[in-house]
Amino acid sequence: MTLLSQRREVGEFKKRYKWMALVVLLIFGVLGVRAVLLQIVDHEHYAAIARENITKTIVLPATRGIIRDTTGRLIASNEPVYNVYVTPQLIRPETDLDRISELMALDEEQRSSFEERLQKVPPSRRTHQIEMFSGIAREQLAALETHARELPGVDVVAVPMRTYAYGSLGAHAVGYLNEVSAEDLERLAEQGYVAGDRVGRTGLESAWESYLRGRRGYRRVLVDARGSLAEDLETEVGGDQPMRRDPVPGRDISLTLDMELMRTIERAFRGHPSGAAVVVDVRTGRVRALYSKPAYDLNELSGRLTDSRYAELEDNPFRPLIDKTLYESYFPGSTFKPMAAIAALQDSVVDPSARVNCPGFLQIGRDRKRCSTAHGDVDMRRAIVQSCNVYFWTTAMAVGLERLNRFGHDFGFGQRTGIGINSEASGFLPSRAWYTEHFGRFRVGYTLDAAIGQGNTRTTLLQLAMAYAAIANGGTIFVPQLVERVSSPDGEVIEEFGPRVRRRVSVDRQHLAYVVDGLYGVVNDPSGTAYDARIAGGVPVAGKTGTAQVARRAPRPGEDPNRAWYFNRDHAWFAGFAPAGAPQVAIVVLVEHGGGGGRYAAPVAMQILQEYLSAQEGTSATTGTGPVLARTGGQ
Amino acid sequence: MAALVRGLRDQFDWPLFVSAAAIAVIGVVNLYSATSASGARSDIYIQQIYWLTLGAGVAVLVAAVDYRHFERHGWVAYGVGIVLLLLVFLLGKSIRGSTRWITFGDFTLQPSELMKICIIIALAKYLHNDPKTEGRTLKDLVIPGLILAVPMSLILLQPDLGTAMICACIFGTIMMLTKLKLRSLFTLAAAFVLSAPLTWTYLLKEYQRDRLTAFLHPEQDLLDTGWHAHQSLVAIGSGGIWGKGFMQGTQNQHRFLPDQHSDFPFAVWAEEQGMVGVALMLGLYLFVIIWALKIASQAKDRFGAVTAVGVAALLFWHSVINIGMVMGLLPVVGVTLPLFSYGGSSVLTVMIGVGLLMNVSMRRFHF
Repeated sequence: MTLLSQRREVGEFKKRYKWMALVVLLIFGVLGVRAVLLQIVDHEHYAAIARENITKTIVLPATRGIIRDTTGRLIASNEPVYNVYVTPQLIRPETDLDRISELMALDEEQRSSFEERLQKVPPSRRTHQIEMFSGIAREQLAALETHARELPGVDVVAVPMRTYAYGSLGAHAVGYLNEVSAEDLERLAEQGYVAGDRVGRTGLESAWESYLRGRRGYRRVLVDARGSLAEDLETEVGGDQPMRRDPVPGRDISLTLDMELMRTIERAFRGHPSGAAVVVDVRTGRVRALYSKPAYDLNELSGRLTDSRYAELEDNPFRPLIDKTLYESYFPGSTFKPMAAIAALQDSVVDPSARVNCPGFLQIGRDRKRCSTAHGDVDMRRAIVQSCNVYFWTTAMAVGLERLNRFGHDFGFGQRTGIGINSEASGFLPSRAWYTEHFGRFRVGYTLDAAIGQGNTRTTLLQLAMAYAAIANGGTIFVPQLVERVSSPDGEVIEEFGPRVRRRVSVDRQHLAYVVDGLYGVVNDPSGTAYDARIAGGVPVAGKTGTAQVARRAPRPGEDPNRAWYFNRDHAWFAGFAPAGAPQVAIVVLVEHGGGGGRYAAPVAMQILQEYLSAQEGTSATTGTGPVLARTGGQ
Repeated sequence: MAALVRGLRDQFDWPLFVSAAAIAVIGVVNLYSATSASGARSDIYIQQIYWLTLGAGVAVLVAAVDYRHFERHGWVAYGVGIVLLLLVFLLGKSIRGSTRWITFGDFTLQPSELMKICIIIALAKYLHNDPKTEGRTLKDLVIPGLILAVPMSLILLQPDLGTAMICACIFGTIMMLTKLKLRSLFTLAAAFVLSAPLTWTYLLKEYQRDRLTAFLHPEQDLLDTGWHAHQSLVAIGSGGIWGKGFMQGTQNQHRFLPDQHSDFPFAVWAEEQGMVGVALMLGLYLFVIIWALKIASQAKDRFGAVTAVGVAALLFWHSVINIGMVMGLLPVVGVTLPLFSYGGSSVLTVMIGVGLLMNVSMRRFHF
C-alpha cells in the first residue's frame, strides 16, 4: 500500500457535512410541500383538467330545414354524406396514421396533407373532433366501420349535405350556403356557430337561416387510459356542461314559388343570354316566380367552390351573381307610361278622349325629341296601345313631375317592396329637389323623361310586377310573399302566412279600368305594340311593352369588340297580367340588351303565361274576350 | 478467503445497495408504463435493464479497486474524459440541433455524462493533495476552476446547457466543502450576478430563453413548452393521494407528457402512484444523498470524502432539478432523474458514482 498516497487530514471538511445535510433536507422538504400542494390541495383542479383532456365531444349534427315550392316539390333538401372526424389526442402517430391511410386508401399527397392538418391542430383543441375528410366513398366507409374498434380517435359521422334539386333554377331566390369564415365567427359566435358550420349566404337560405338551421347537439364521453370509450365514467365528468344535448332539426319552409312555372320561364328564355322575370299572384301578392338569368348551380356554390370558378362567375359579362329581379334596378321605359296615364286621369288633368297629334317628334326649344314613329292623332288609349311618346310628353307637361311621383310612390316605386331577401334595391323616382341638387337647375325635359320611364327613374322587376298587380286587382299593393308556411320536420304546420296588404292606391276603379283596357289593346289591338307576340286563341293578356335605353358602354380592355354592340343594345321589357278578364297573375319580363320590348320581351311573356295558365286546372277564366273591368269602365 | 468474504459481507454497504437498487427497479417498472403508449419506444425498458446490468458490472469493478488507485490515476481519468469530449466534435451525432453523442455501432455514448465523474475525481485528487487549514483565496481557486472550466466550455459548445450547469453545481458543492475566504465568496457571487445578463444575451439560445420566459409567465404560453410543463402539473395533481394505478395514468397514456421516458418519468410516476409514490421516491433519493454525505463524513481521507460529496452532489442536483422542473418549480431543462430516466450514459454515470460511494464506504474500515 506504500505505492498509494498517504491519507490526508479530513478535518477541514468536518463541519460542513451537517450544513449540507440540512440544505438537502430543506430542499427535499420544499419538493414534498410542493407535492402536497399539487396532489392534495389542488387535486380537484388538476383532476378536472385531466378529465377534460380525455373527454371527447361527439358532434350530433342538426338537419337543416327543407325548402319546398308551393306544390310541395323539393327545392333544397339534405342527403347524407359520410364525414370522417378525427380526435387528434387519441391518434397514435406511429401506428394509427398508417392504419387510417391504408383503410382509406389515401395516396401520398392525401396522406401528407392529412398529417399536416393533424399537426396544425392547437393543443387546446386536440380533444375535439376535427373534420378531416368529407363525403368519403362507400369503400372507405366500409373499411373504417369494420375497423372502428382499433381506431378510437376516428369517427365516421353521417352528415346531412345540402342538395338543390333544381340546380341553378331559382338560384338567386333560394340561395346557397357556405362555411363560416373567421370574421363571421366573431359576429356569429354568440349564436352558437363554430368553425366548419355552414351558414346561408344569399336568398332564402340566408334570410330564413334562423328557421332552417336548427341547433346542433353533442355527446360528451370519457375515454380511459387505453383510448376506448369508458361509458361508466360518463356520469363522473360533471362540470358545467351537460353530457348530452340532442340536436334540434331546422324548420321546413314552403314557398310561394312554383318550380314548374320556373321551368317554363327557363324554356321561354332560351335564346336570350341574359334577363329576368317575375310572376306574382295579383290576388295575394304571392310570388310565383323569381327568375334571373344567367344563374349558377347552387350545389356547386354550396360545395367547395374554387377561387378560379368564383372569379369566372364574377368576370362573366352577363353577371350571373347579380339577382336581376330585385337587386338590380333598371329604367322602366314605356312600362312606366300607365303611371303617367293614371296620374292624369285621377287628378282630371287631361281628358282621355282628347287627341294629341304626333308628328313623330316633339320640339322643345331647340331640342327635338323623337317618337318611335308618327302616330298621328292619338287619344290616351291609343297612346298606350301604340306607346306614343309624344302623347305622354304632352300629358307629362300637364301632370308635372310632383304629381307623377306621388302616384309612382303610391304604386310602390322608389321604395323597397319588403320581400326580405338579397338586399333588394329601392329603385328611384327623381324629384325636382333632386334634379336641382344634381343638375344645378330643373328643366321641363326631366319631367318628360320621367313620364316615359327614362332619365333617372329606376325600378326593379319586382316593384314593377307589384305595381302591375295593383293595376290588375283594382288597386291593392301587396307585400310580395315568398314563404307560405313554416312546418316542423314531421309536417306539423307551425306558422302560416297570409297575404299582407301594403296599401290601397288612391285611384278610382274606373280610371284603372280605362288603363287596363289600354293595356288589353297593347296585346290585342292590331296596332298594339305586342300584337305580333300574342298567341291567338290563347289566354288573353294585357300589358305594356317597354324599351329601356342603355348607357353607351365602351368595350372593356381585352373584350372582343364584336361583342360591344350587344351590350349597347336596349333592354326589352314586357309588364302585364293575365287572364285579362279575371287577372290571376302579373308578369314582368326583362330581356337584357334584347332590343325592342314588343319584339323580344313580349313573346317570352306570352309563352310563359300561355303555358302556365293553361296548365292551371279548374281556372274558368283561362279563356274569354275583353277585360271585365274595361267593360264596366266608362269608355 | 473466508475472512475476505466475511469482510465483504460485513463491510458491504447494504443500505446504499438496497436504496439504489430500489430506485432502479421502480424506474424500470415506471418506464414500462411511461412508454407503453408510444409504440416505437415501448421496448425501452428492456434497454434500460441492459444498461443497468452493464452499469452494475462497472459499479462492482469500481467498488472492488481501492479508490486510492483512482486518486493516483486521477489525471488520466480526467484526460480520457476530455478526449472523449473532443471526440464528440469529430464523430458526434447531432440530435435536435446539438451534438452530444458518439456512436460505436449500436452503442451511443454521451461523454458529458461521464465527464461529471471525471471532474469529481480530478477535484478530489486536487483537494487531496492541497490540504489547507486556512481559508482559500481566489488564487487557490484557479486550478479547481480550470478543472471545471475546460470540460464545461466543451459541453457548452455542444451545446448542452443542462449538463454544463450540473457540472458547475457539483463543482460549487465540492468547493463549499472547503473553507473559502468570505471576501472571495462575495467576489464570486458578484461576478455571477454581473455575468447573468451576458449569459442571457450571448450564451443562451433562442429556445432556451423561450423556456425561461415560458416558466416565468406560464399564462402567456400554453402552447409548446408552457403547455407541456402545464400538463406535467396536471398529471401530478390529478394523481391525488393514491394515484390512478399502474398503466392507468391518462395524462401518460394519452401522451400529454413530453419525453415521458427521459425528462418526465417522475410525472408519470406521480400520476399513477400518487402522493404515496412521490413520498416513497423523494424518501429514497433523500436517503441515498444523506447516506452519501454520511459516507463522506466517515471517509478516511480527503480524496474519499470529496469523491463521496461529489457523487452526493451529482445525485442531489440531478434529482432536485428534474423533480423541480416536473413539479413546475424550475424551468424545463433537459436534466435526467438518476436511475429513473431512460438513458445509457446517464445510468452508467450514476452506477459508477454508486460504485465509488460503495468503494469509499467499504474502505473506511481499512487502517
